[in-house]
Amino acid sequence: MAVCIAVIAKENYPLFIRSVPTQNELKFHYTVHTSLDVVEEKISAVGKSLGDQRELYLGLLYPTEDYKVYGYVTNSKVKFVIVVDSSNTSLRDNEIRSMFRKLHNSFTDVMCNPFYNPGDPIQSKAFNGIVSGMMVQTG
Amino acid sequence: MAQCVQSVQEFIQDSFVPMVAVLSSDEAERVSRKNNLSFSELLRPFCKLTSEGHIRDPNNQLQTVKNLRVCVNNLVTSLQTPSASVSPAQYRLLSEVVLSFQPQEGAQTSAVKTGDYSLNLSVTTPWFEAYRDNFLQSMPASDHEFLNHYLACLLVVSSTETVPVEQFLKLSQEQHRIQHSGEYTNPKWFIPNTLKYYVLLHDMSEGDEQRAELVYEDMKQRYGSHGCYLLKINSRTVSPEQDEQIPDPWSQYLLRNSQRNQVRIHIPPPAISSWRLCASVCVCGPGPGLSSSLEVHPLQLDTSSASLQTLTDVHVDLKTGARDSEHPALGSGSYGACLTLNDHDHVRQFVQEFAFRGLLPHVEKNIRQLNDQKRPESLFVHCYQKVVCVGVIFLLFGVRYPPEAPELQIRKMADLCFLVQHYDLAYSCYHTAKKDFLLDQAMLYAAGALEMAAVSAFLQSGAPRPYPSHYMDTAIQTYRDVCRNMVLAERCALLSSEILKSQGKYSEAAALLIKMTSEDSDLRSALLLEQAAHCFINMRNPMVRKFAFHMILAGHRFSKARQTRHALRCYCQAMQVYQDRGWSLAEDHINFTIGRHSFTHGQSEDAVMAFRQILINDSRQTATQQAAFLREYLYVYKSVNGEKKGCLPELPLPYIQSSTTRVFFGHERRLAEGEKQAATHVSLDQEYDQNLSAMWCQLEEQLVSSANRGIVPNNFQPSQSCLNSQTDNLHPPLAVVEEPIIVELSFRNPLKVSLTLSNLSLLWKFTADGTSSPGKTQTGEQITGETITNEEASATQHKNVDFLLSEGQQALSQMTVRGRQDLKIRGPRLNLTKEDKMQVRYGADQRLEPIITPPMPLMEVFFLQFPTALLCGEIKKAHVEFCNVSAVALCGLRVASTHPDFFTFGSQATTPVTPPSSVSAENCSAYKTFATTLQQGSVASEMLVSAEEFSQPSGVMNIPVHGGMLQPGESIQLPLWLRGPDKEGVHEINFLFYYESIEKGPKISHRVLRHTVFICASRSLNVQASAFHSTAPPPHSVDDKGSRGTLVFIDVENVNMSEGGVREFHIVQVSSSSHHWRLHKYITPTKDNDCKLSSRERAKLCFRAQAPPSRSPISLTWTHVCVQIISSSTPCGDFFFRCCNTSTLQQVDVNSRTSGNSRSLYSAPPSGSGTNLTSVTRKCNDLDLNIIVIWKAYVIEDNKQLILEGQLHVALHSFGKEASSLVPKEVRQTLCKASSLCVSSLCLVPVTLTLSNCSVALVDVIIDLRHNSTSSESLEVHGSFSWVGQTQYKLQLGQQEVVSLTLRACFFRAGVYNLNTPRVLARPTEQNSVCETSQQTASPALIIIINSARLQKSNSSDEQLSL
Repeated sequence: MAVCIAVIAKENYPLFIRSVPTQNELKFHYTVHTSLDVVEEKISAVGKSLGDQRELYLGLLYPTEDYKVYGYVTNSKVKFVIVVDSSNTSLRDNEIRSMFRKLHNSFTDVMCNPFYNPGDPIQSKAFNGIVSGMMVQTG
Repeated sequence: MAQCVQSVQEFIQDSFVPMVAVLSSDEAERVSRKNNLSFSELLRPFCKLTSEGHIRDPNNQLQTVKNLRVCVNNLVTSLQTPSASVSPAQYRLLSEVVLSFQPQEGAQTSAVKTGDYSLNLSVTTPWFEAYRDNFLQSMPASDHEFLNHYLACLLVVSSTETVPVEQFLKLSQEQHRIQHSGEYTNPKWFIPNTLKYYVLLHDMSEGDEQRAELVYEDMKQRYGSHGCYLLKINSRTVSPEQDEQIPDPWSQYLLRNSQRNQVRIHIPPPAISSWRLCASVCVCGPGPGLSSSLEVHPLQLDTSSASLQTLTDVHVDLKTGARDSEHPALGSGSYGACLTLNDHDHVRQFVQEFAFRGLLPHVEKNIRQLNDQKRPESLFVHCYQKVVCVGVIFLLFGVRYPPEAPELQIRKMADLCFLVQHYDLAYSCYHTAKKDFLLDQAMLYAAGALEMAAVSAFLQSGAPRPYPSHYMDTAIQTYRDVCRNMVLAERCALLSSEILKSQGKYSEAAALLIKMTSEDSDLRSALLLEQAAHCFINMRNPMVRKFAFHMILAGHRFSKARQTRHALRCYCQAMQVYQDRGWSLAEDHINFTIGRHSFTHGQSEDAVMAFRQILINDSRQTATQQAAFLREYLYVYKSVNGEKKGCLPELPLPYIQSSTTRVFFGHERRLAEGEKQAATHVSLDQEYDQNLSAMWCQLEEQLVSSANRGIVPNNFQPSQSCLNSQTDNLHPPLAVVEEPIIVELSFRNPLKVSLTLSNLSLLWKFTADGTSSPGKTQTGEQITGETITNEEASATQHKNVDFLLSEGQQALSQMTVRGRQDLKIRGPRLNLTKEDKMQVRYGADQRLEPIITPPMPLMEVFFLQFPTALLCGEIKKAHVEFCNVSAVALCGLRVASTHPDFFTFGSQATTPVTPPSSVSAENCSAYKTFATTLQQGSVASEMLVSAEEFSQPSGVMNIPVHGGMLQPGESIQLPLWLRGPDKEGVHEINFLFYYESIEKGPKISHRVLRHTVFICASRSLNVQASAFHSTAPPPHSVDDKGSRGTLVFIDVENVNMSEGGVREFHIVQVSSSSHHWRLHKYITPTKDNDCKLSSRERAKLCFRAQAPPSRSPISLTWTHVCVQIISSSTPCGDFFFRCCNTSTLQQVDVNSRTSGNSRSLYSAPPSGSGTNLTSVTRKCNDLDLNIIVIWKAYVIEDNKQLILEGQLHVALHSFGKEASSLVPKEVRQTLCKASSLCVSSLCLVPVTLTLSNCSVALVDVIIDLRHNSTSSESLEVHGSFSWVGQTQYKLQLGQQEVVSLTLRACFFRAGVYNLNTPRVLARPTEQNSVCETSQQTASPALIIIINSARLQKSNSSDEQLSL
């Protein structure tokens, strides 16, 4: 289902972007980058009202003709973006949610690695494996 | 959306204006043509009315009409039906309009700062406005709306006409024919009885004014005073002399044509050909009746392009083009040449008269009529619909009404109201019409009504109802999806987005615009996307990334629409968002596109910059992609480079890691020459080491201070011959003329593609500095060109290339470009002051800015027979050669070393003048022996030597060169003695040779040469010496009663580890050196005089030392035992003094660190009892005896026996080893023979402990026998014993008193025991418990208990223990 999974740093530069190899990688880069505007919009809208009890899952950021873009923001303002093929209608909101949770857990593991320098691109094999799992399982 | 010049209201008003047709006679046209203008053009600048008009609505309310504009067009007829999409010709026109508006260089930009983005955007988008205006003007007239139908017709006849009235009649008939014959579908007319306005054009310059007035009077009677006008123009004759400045209001309306003409020159060939086609179509046809000629025109490719005629703008455009060719004398800029300012006023008055007297009343009348019609009809609208339903023609998409259908009448009325700015009424009419149309499912009509309803709702003053944006959405959707009319949909979207924008609803506007993009028109999509992007950036929370993304989309569409300049601009603006933010893939894509577009526009510099950016970024691209980028870059680079000659442009690749650049000053050195081994000095192979360089600097400082009589000059700078990032590069380095400078660069290739570097050369610049080195340096200055060919920098590798020149060439397959890379070295980041810490500042780095100085001497040093491995203390002779290889004499040769005790050149006085012979050196002893062997045996010989003979200033040695200087080319060999370090292991020994020029140079005072050797020292002998007071008076000593003589024990142990190497050591000689003592006699335990030690053997030598009768403080007494060698001469003496020097130096160091308390204790005169004590103690303990043990080692190496020689030094400063006792004590054990051990298996041995107080004070002594000594010495002795009887004694010893205590020891088993276990504590009685000093004897008192009742007491040294 996921055709592209991205982790964006607090400063809005990519820590990790992987997309289905068959498709144009550049397109996904643009899509993810553009989605950051919506993410920021959502954060600023939500952040004030609820304080720290913020829902990390942002839901559908915006649909394009071919894809649906979902967003998730950690408390440290690291953004996760998952792009899903629009044709895949079987995918429920809950499944996307659980994908993000999985991604977040794996990301936390990466952060816990004492040899990982925060801010560097993620090169963890375990993380990569989780991501591939999400992309493969889904198609 | 970008800002527009007009406000939205103005824009909408101007988009919908009453249309007026012009039908003029040929004569009238000729009159106006004098001004280079057609009649409609003549009016155009004055079509905007400045004064207010008034109109009465059906309810007789007065409405003001402000800023009314009328559109005056020549009447052009055609048969074309309105198409649902933009025709190709129209498309071409629009694209040219867009093309003609290019962003200017100095265009107004605004800086948008959001978050951490700060963008520079163009505020206005004139190309879009031009596109929009042209698009709206070129809207084909449609049946479902009347807004752009002709409302009135101007019939223009010249007064020069023979019968003007007849002409009017003809024109009137012509108009009637056009409108009602049904021959032409275009133009369309608003109302059946179109307003005809009769204009008599009078040319002041040629016509008869009175006649014109007469005709006008006639006309007034015929058509009424409000239906005709006499327009007088051309008051001025054309003459080039009268060049008055008359304002030219036409140029701004017609300006676009000339602009377009200029632009056309630049457009690429295909565009030009299309233009030509266009031009040829148009040239043939200004004037009516041209439609037929067009249709048969051979160049006409597309018949639908006949709609061209409806495009008034094209019409004008073509006519001007045609006119330009017809009247080359008249410049295209000179419009209205025959018109005076009065004429301008006339025209203005005419238009105003026409509008207010003719047009508005006409409109008013029609509105009233329509309103009257509407009322009865709307009563029976329902039944009517059923009846008239037949009359409604169903067409492909919906319904088409006949022109007189009542629904259309409402619409017509609404349009009329709209045109005269009566928006309230218009809205209600539109609203009614909309309902009617929707009921009939006439979708096109309904959409039109919806659109206009929304617009008029927006334009209503005071805004009684909110803007119904859903009307617009529905209208757009209907136009697009139901009617498939993209033109109308686009118009609707343009209006709606503009309105939304004015209300701040940017996101809705953007969504609308994006929805309107489609595959069928790239130009439209591009423009709309760009506007959408501007909407995103203008939002309250600007969406920068969306802006950038849509800019890129717009750029893409622009490039598809062949608007590459606009595409380039879009990409450049988007680039600001993506730049340097880690989105490298997108960044590369943008850069690549920018590069390509820039290149096609001939902006090669920009193209190079963009491509360069791709290569410089840390690329995530694949290797093939990188190779493609690189190829593209090289291609562009080459083409740019081909244009320019002279300075080479800069290459981005490979990276020069400039901070790792190393600069080496000095020539290529010979490393070895035969047996000679050159000094290592400094080379590029060496890594920089902070500690090492500090060490060298310290050595150099020592040398300089010794050369300057102990003072280090203020401007002292350690000489650095190899500069790198860690060295001090604040000062420009000094380089000597005619000596090479080597620059080492480190290249890095960031690509996955390999680069070939060839023909690298270093560019340099020389500036003659008059102040520092006048003239002289230039002559000698020569940098030889060295070229490195084909240095392959393979992918992502670091490579160091040393070269003397740097000018690069890059090759990839066949492509080779030549370029340059600048070496810019930035110093380290400053971090001292607060400003430095707050900002990022870098220090200066002058590594690459050497100052060339006059010639300096250059010395090379070679070593001969220099060993790499030595035994500890081994003495070896080697030779050193100094060569002056320069053309300048050198002097002041000195050397400093980290191990000054390692080598000696021999003292001046005692240097044996032996020529160095390499052959015999193997077995030739380094020592100087006595010519005649003196008496063998135990008697010592004595020699007095002044210490000053060997004295050297610390660490620094003057090299005894004959004459003190080395002439150019001269070389000298000197002997050098080396002594193995005392500690085993590998020793790094550093030499720093110092020399200076004979004539003092202003820049460099001296030069240095470094040498580093590694000596592997292996263990030889371990020598321990101890001295004890002898209790028994020495038999020989008669004269000296004060000193009772001293026993000196020397323990020598062979600790050499190597199995086969060293066979045995011979102790050849023992010498001593002291101010006060001399070795007196060798007490031989064995008869053998020569002491041999094979592996792991140990020997003890015992000497008796005596104080010599005469004491000279200056000279040292040298005594030799087993005399063979003059140990007081070179090299033995040298090394001895070296060692002493270093050890005393160390002591001084220690002393200086301790507090002044202890110092004062020593320096105070012995007056009080306390200080008296210390001085006594010191006197008692001071020994100051240095022992030198000279040995020979027999070594088998390669089946050859070698004899190595060496010497070891031991300094005895005090008696015993631990010299801190307050009370000297002698322990004397009386030897006892135990009786019957076997009987009771216990052995009681009486032991006598003798305590003697050597001091003058009373001493309290505590003897504790129970104390268990845990020192290692007692543990050596196995088993234990116990003291029996009293185990603790407390005594007081008087002055010089000797007390003996008898103790009893009980042994249980046979064995060797150390009896020296009691702890003796002593303190002076006066000092109350301040310092109880433990008196622990170091040497054991051994007793051997033998099982068979035979008790042997063996005390290895003596019975006396002295502390």
